[in-house]
Amino acid sequence: MSARFPVTTAVAGIGVRQYKRGTAPLPEQGVLVGAIVDACADADIDPADIDGFVSYGDDHNEPTRLMKDLGTKDLCWSSQIWGGGGGGIAGAFGLAAAAIMTGQASTVAVFRALVQGNSGRLSGAVMAHHLNDHLIGTGLVAPALECAMRAQRMMEHDGVPAQCVEDLVRASYYHGSRNPKAVTYGKDLDVEVYRSSRLISEPFHLFDCSRENDGAGVLIMTSADCAKDLKQKPVYLRGVAQGAGKGWGDLCQNEPNYSSAGFESVARRLWAQTGLGPQDIDVVQLYENFAQQGIASLIDHGFCTVETVSEVLRFENLIAPSGKLPVNTGGGNLAQGFIHGIGMAIEAIEQLRGTSSNPVPGARNCLLAGGPGAPLVSSAIFSTDQE
Amino acid sequence: MKGLGADGPYWDALSAGELKLPRCADCGHWHWPAPFRCADCGSWYFEWVATPIEGDLYSWTRTWQPFDGTENLGTPYVSVLVELPEAGGIRLLGLAADTETPKIGTKMTGAIASSHVWGRDVPMIRWSAVAA
Repeated sequence: MSARFPVTTAVAGIGVRQYKRGTAPLPEQGVLVGAIVDACADADIDPADIDGFVSYGDDHNEPTRLMKDLGTKDLCWSSQIWGGGGGGIAGAFGLAAAAIMTGQASTVAVFRALVQGNSGRLSGAVMAHHLNDHLIGTGLVAPALECAMRAQRMMEHDGVPAQCVEDLVRASYYHGSRNPKAVTYGKDLDVEVYRSSRLISEPFHLFDCSRENDGAGVLIMTSADCAKDLKQKPVYLRGVAQGAGKGWGDLCQNEPNYSSAGFESVARRLWAQTGLGPQDIDVVQLYENFAQQGIASLIDHGFCTVETVSEVLRFENLIAPSGKLPVNTGGGNLAQGFIHGIGMAIEAIEQLRGTSSNPVPGARNCLLAGGPGAPLVSSAIFSTDQE
Repeated sequence: MKGLGADGPYWDALSAGELKLPRCADCGHWHWPAPFRCADCGSWYFEWVATPIEGDLYSWTRTWQPFDGTENLGTPYVSVLVELPEAGGIRLLGLAADTETPKIGTKMTGAIASSHVWGRDVPMIRWSAVAA
């Protein structure tokens, strides 16, 4: 039996500032400082008391550069998950928890900030991390293409139907249209518009692809005991796993489990360390850089198999409040907006606080499945319960 | 720009008009991308074996969006992944010779060519379906 993850840390504050791509009112660092201050106000703590910072995906905002604006008294922890994509998003909470549990820091900001004028287009920034001559010589110059090839295999060879993809996209837009904080608020996605949208890189149509937004998102983590004394209802980190099993990684598309999203070992460890399984998850924040990768991620985590995917990935089943597997209740990277996924972590907290625009009644456990298909992936479970 | 791992001999061979892929000189396992060390047996020695440019189409994508760096390919273009049975099932990325809709499992044959990307010629393989 695996050791249980100690449920002794919690998210105590959240802050997000999201803008249309290219329209942020401040440079990246300024936007991030704003989101940190927002998260501190949410938690009712002094920004100067944050003593740890964690990010992922090659974020450029080194904590030492934030200290002046925040008045940081003592920077005790500063770290980032490897990898250029969103694969590390959930693992970032594991770094923060490790710092807090070992006494190396007490109040840690997990963040991601991206403003096009400073860091360029997100897709370009992510790809720059991975590019080599094998890729550029064959036209694979953007994340969409690399993911499209895996998605093509999953659909054409493994037999995952296009209907499932459409239903997942529609569920995201359904939630987004009902979330005032989403880019798509008030706008339903017409099925015919979806089906006739232009092809990007087959099998991806335009609406299968995530957006890109300017902005920053921040989640403040403390010990569970500290969080109980703060303003908000604590949302506990119930478990977290990151990495890549043997046969996954940066292998130039030579992975044995090619059409998966790479979560096999991460999901196994997450379930083992929490004693939970897919049946215990009330709502999923499913990082979908592209809709098909989101489906591969659900399969990897055990919510369905290639054989049962059509039974589970049905529109009615994926929407709150009535579906059994509500997914991306804020609209996700497709419809809420995309600051490299940090909005999904914030929606996980909103959902468990009961403040989501699309609440799942009685939700206790929320899975945050990180960026799928990346060489390194991660997943976390947030919970209303400490036990 | 760079290759991946220890793949210098791959690029040298392509430039000389040949496909060569690495096989552990001690245990005989094929590896890709090219490692410095064979994790199967611990050896640091590899043979770079001349390999026929033939395989089975493993996956593909046809790209319609003009991304930065694809100006010289035009749109659409088809990127392919081909599995080489004669090299232990190593999969190589390449470009299709035409823009027809490919089919996974199709027998493919390739020819060494190059792409002009960001002001530089990059060697690659152009693949065509073997006539049935």
